[in-house]
Formats: sequence, C-alpha cells, structure tokens
Amino acid sequence: MTAAAPVLSDRHRPAFDAFMANRREPDKLSRLRREAFERFEALGWPTRQQEAWRFTDLSALQSLALQRAADAPVEAAALPTLDTAIHRLVFINGRFAPGLSKLTELPERTVIASLGQVLAADPQAVQNQLDQLPGLAQHPFTALNGTFWEDGAFIYLLPGAVLDHPIHIIFHATGGDTAVYPRLLVMLDDGARANIVVEYRGQGRYLQAPVVELSIDDGAVLEYHQLQEEAPQAFHLGGIKLQQGRDSQTQLHLMSFGGQLARTDLEVLLDGEHASCMLNGLTVGRDNQASNFYVRVDHAHPHGSSQQLFKSVLDDKARSVFDGIIHVRPHAQKTDARQNSRNLLLSKQALAQSNPRLEILADDVKCGHGSSTGFLDPNAEFYLRARGIPAAQARAMLVYAFANDSLNAIRLNPLRERLARLLAGRLALDSTEEDLTS
Amino acid sequence: MLEIRNLHATVEGREILNGIDLTVRAGEVHAIMGPNGSGKSTLANVIAGREGYVVTEGEVLFDGKNLLEMEPEIRACEGLFLAFQYPVEIPGVANLYFLKAAVNAVRKYRGESPVDAMDFWDLVHERMELVKMDESMLKRSVNEGFSGGEKKRNEIFQMAVLQPRFAVLDETDSGLDIDALRVVADGVNALRGPERGFLVITHYQRLLDYIVPDHVHVLVNGRIARSGGKELALELEEQGYALYNEEPGRARRAAA
Repeated sequence: MTAAAPVLSDRHRPAFDAFMANRREPDKLSRLRREAFERFEALGWPTRQQEAWRFTDLSALQSLALQRAADAPVEAAALPTLDTAIHRLVFINGRFAPGLSKLTELPERTVIASLGQVLAADPQAVQNQLDQLPGLAQHPFTALNGTFWEDGAFIYLLPGAVLDHPIHIIFHATGGDTAVYPRLLVMLDDGARANIVVEYRGQGRYLQAPVVELSIDDGAVLEYHQLQEEAPQAFHLGGIKLQQGRDSQTQLHLMSFGGQLARTDLEVLLDGEHASCMLNGLTVGRDNQASNFYVRVDHAHPHGSSQQLFKSVLDDKARSVFDGIIHVRPHAQKTDARQNSRNLLLSKQALAQSNPRLEILADDVKCGHGSSTGFLDPNAEFYLRARGIPAAQARAMLVYAFANDSLNAIRLNPLRERLARLLAGRLALDSTEEDLTS
Repeated sequence: MLEIRNLHATVEGREILNGIDLTVRAGEVHAIMGPNGSGKSTLANVIAGREGYVVTEGEVLFDGKNLLEMEPEIRACEGLFLAFQYPVEIPGVANLYFLKAAVNAVRKYRGESPVDAMDFWDLVHERMELVKMDESMLKRSVNEGFSGGEKKRNEIFQMAVLQPRFAVLDETDSGLDIDALRVVADGVNALRGPERGFLVITHYQRLLDYIVPDHVHVLVNGRIARSGGKELALELEEQGYALYNEEPGRARRAAA
C-alpha cells in the first residue's frame, strides 16, 4: 500500500500519482478515477465566492494536510449495534473490516458485500454500476471521492427481492489528520424493498467525504437512514445521488449530530411517473458546530411527489444551513412538492439559514415551501414551570418536542429509540433521559 | 393561607396594581370581580410568578412564606396552582406525559419517589371523569387544537390531578357555554375542602351561581374597592361596575 501521501493539499497531482501507482484494478475503474481527478482539478478547491459554498467555511479544513489513513484496529465493542440488523458492514478508514461485519444468512436474489469483494468476484458489476447516476458534477468532494475511494458497500436487490431486516453500515474513521472516502452503492431493481442504516462516526480529527448512490427502479421501496455522528473535531462532506423510477417510494432520514463541520449535498431525480420521495432532516448542533444540507429535487415526470422537512436545533454558536431547490420540469404536471425548514435557536449566538427555492416550469402543480426560525416560546416555558416543572427540564421538554416529530417519522424502532436517547443526551439541560422519554 | 399586603405591581413600567390587601384562609373561596383593565389578571400572574410582572411594593405570603421570592415552579411545588386565562398550546408534548412530569416534579420537591404508573393511571382516570374529559385528550399534545372549552376543562383537569392547596382561576369562565361552565364549576366544587383555598377571578357573576364564594371583592383601578359576601356579586350583576368605575379601564388604557 502507499506510503503516507497527502490526499488533500495543494499538491494533488503527486498524491494522485502515488495513489494510482499502487492500485491494481480494471482499466475502466482507473479511467473513472482519472476523470474524477481531472474534474476536481478543473473545479478546484471551493471558495466562498462560489454561490454553492458561500455559507460553508472550509478554512479550518483547508489548513490541514490530510493523509491517507493507515489500517487501525477498532474494538467491536466501540461500535454501535442495531438489534434487528442481521446484515452488517463495517468500514474502518474507508476499508472493509470483515472481522467486524456480519454477512451470514444472506437472502436470495440479494447481494450485500463490500465493493472489494464484488470486484474480486465480478469486476463487471462494479464497473457497470459505479458513477452511473447523474448529479453533483460540480461538487469537488464528490470528485475527490471518485478519485481516492478505496472500498465501500455494495447492495444489490434483484427484481422483487424484499429484505425484512435492515442493513447496518458503519463508516468509522480513526483520525490523525486523515482523509477517508467511503462509498455506498445501492441498487434496487423493480419492486425490490430494502431498509438501510448508515452511520458515520470516528475519533480525533479527520475528513470523511462519502459518496452514496441510490438507484431505485420502478416500484421499488427504500427506507434510508443516515446518522452523522462524527467526532467533534471531524469534517464530514458527503454527497448523495438518488434516482427513482416509476412508482418508486423512498424515505431518507438524514440526522446530523456530529463533526465541527458537516455538509451533505443531496440530489434527487424523480425519473418516472408517480415516484415519491420523503426527506426528513434533523440537525442538532452546539458549540461551534456547523451543519449544512444542500438539497435539489428534480421532478422530471408527471405525478411525482416530494416532501421535505428539515429541522435544526442549535445551541451556543452552532450554525445550520438549509438550501433547497425544487425543480419541476415543463411536462412534470401534477407534481406535489413541499419543502419546509424549521429552526429552533437555543442561544442568541446560534444562526440558522434557510434558502428555499422553487423552479417551476410546469403549470399544473402543487408546490409550496415554508421556513421558520425562532427561540423557545417563553409562554410555553412558563406554562410548564407553573405546573412545577423546573426551568431546565421545561426547556428540554420543549426542545425535545420540537425535534421529536422528526424522530417519529422513523419507523425503525431500535434506531428511533437510539436517536431519542442521543437527542436527550445532547440537550444537556440537566434532565435525565427518563424525564424526556417516559 | 394566602396573605396579600399592600401589593403594588407594574407591567412594562406602568403601575397596574395599586395597593391590594387580601387574605384568603384555608377552606375559603374568594371571588375577585372587576371591569376590564382593573388588574385582575395581573394579580393572577403576579401570584403565579410570570416574568414581566414587577412587584414594586408590598408582599404576598403563602402559609407564611414569601411567595414573591420563589421561582414559578417552586410556587407550584409548594401547592399553588394557576388556571390560565389563555392556556398555552405545546405541540409535541403529550398531555399525559406533561401531567406525569408535573406530578413527579412536585413529588421530587417533597422528597417523594416518582409516582407509580398504575396509581397515576387510576388517578388520571378518576379525575378525567370529574371534568368529563375524553381519554383521547390524554394522548394529544397539550392544548393543541383544543377548543376554548376543552382548554379550560384541561386546566381544571390538571388542577384535579395535581391537587394544589391553593388555586387561582383566571377568568376560567370566559368564552364558555353553560354546559362547559357547569363542568368547570363541578370540578372546582369537588375539590373544595377545609384544607384548600380558591381565588376565582371573573368578569361575570354567572360563574358564581355555580361556584358559590364565601367572599367577593371588587377590583377597580388596581385596588380593592369593596368587599362583601356572595350577595355582592348579585348586586354587581344588577348595577354593573359603573358605581366603582369613575375611570373605567384606566389600567388597560394606560397599558395600551
């Protein structure tokens, strides 16, 4: 494997050459990497003069010379579990950790594996599927991921395959000023159904810049959960591309809790009639945390539906950005698209920004957006206190209530319960979890 | 039980209460009547400890303790209850959970362990019948989407569950039809007892047909203009506040 070469610095070209010198893979994959790298070189490092990066402060990240992460041992006990998940894929520093994973009892007509495993068994499958979805072409970190990715999760359900149990995928980074580029490729053929939980986490200082491709064919159903719980000093810059066929249904639950800077760019293409997509985002921030969601939903066909609710709860000097575009193409009549962003500020120094945008080129559609930002309602706080509930607990109850409907939209019980505990813990308002959830 | 002495209070710098003296003993029901803007609700809010109501003079003692030094939640834990004129909607907090949190907060203050789940359920059901509340309201968010009457019933229901020693009802009758009024009055009457005191604030005499007070006070321009027995309420019903009201609504006008 390569010696430590900077994979994110002003010396990109040597880093790329060093990285490529040691790779043994099909030519097509090398070509994809080269194209991605050229795209990154053309885009360059984002600046705040660019509209898409105006509100994302990358200076702290840019000042670091991040290295490729070496292999590092991680104890199984240090990783979260999900009761009902039978299938589990763990990646440490972006590389598959078979000893921490569990891939037994695989159902028929289903492939759940690491990209490396699939490459070894059926290289065509990876070559034909990777980087096939449109979108995020202008996103430099997606380009860097396309250049430097080493491994990832590969999930493929044949037509009609139904997975009863969630697939649990953990991307864990061990820090030490490293850059990690995880991959997730999900393909649901016609009528397939899957439930996926992805967790990003780690220790120390690092960058995780994942790329997720979700290809959901006609009539397929996906429930996707993403829990970003990176270490406090970490950076998370992710891209998600979602393409949906006719009559397909997806729910994406995007939970952002960790990192000093976290940003997820999501591009949704509703590429068939009656496709529906629900986006449920929640940011919980404190200290100097920044968390951004940049979302673009493209309605390309009639009768599509998209429902977005992005919430944030911000304490201290935390900041959040929600930037959402609904684009309705001229012939995408009968589109029903809703977008809502709601922000609760717990401190006068917290800042929530909301940039909802509609680009509607069809004339027979229902589209709407709304945005609200505010502090806790002092009348509600007084009401609770007037019944004997201490001030700190009253505030925690109100915050919890604000965030709770985001959690309630999650049908996967063990995950929802874990998130509820996480939320109660994060409120840090002198209340026990019992106070909030019983 | 509750002693108010020479109470002066301001809201946003304007004097609303202008020297109130009032003593309510355990077992008594006192009614405070008065025209709009006379300071009735200010008195209720000062007693409950709402922010923005500044006491400039005088004192309020609750069983001999200085009530005004206590945080609102401590007043509640000491046994004080305010039935709000405008109950607050709290989306996302279930009524039942809110009640349990309140009951347990009071128990914790008294050094007691959290309420047993079954005991709590029994108590809730018994009290629900008292105010003829539907069980579905327990699972709904606090006051969210409740009608005016449901909100007021919910206040009385909370009072019945929390069983305070002293309750202030701030215009609980306003906006209620006669059936809802009866339900609210029945709830209050069921809780009347030798250990408990009530201060019933109302603009209309009507409520006092159902909650018969021991004493009636007329509040005008932030001060008690007259006190008497329950017959005073009837007199007011006939003659209105004009007799007391040389400067009608002075406080309200000043605040506007």
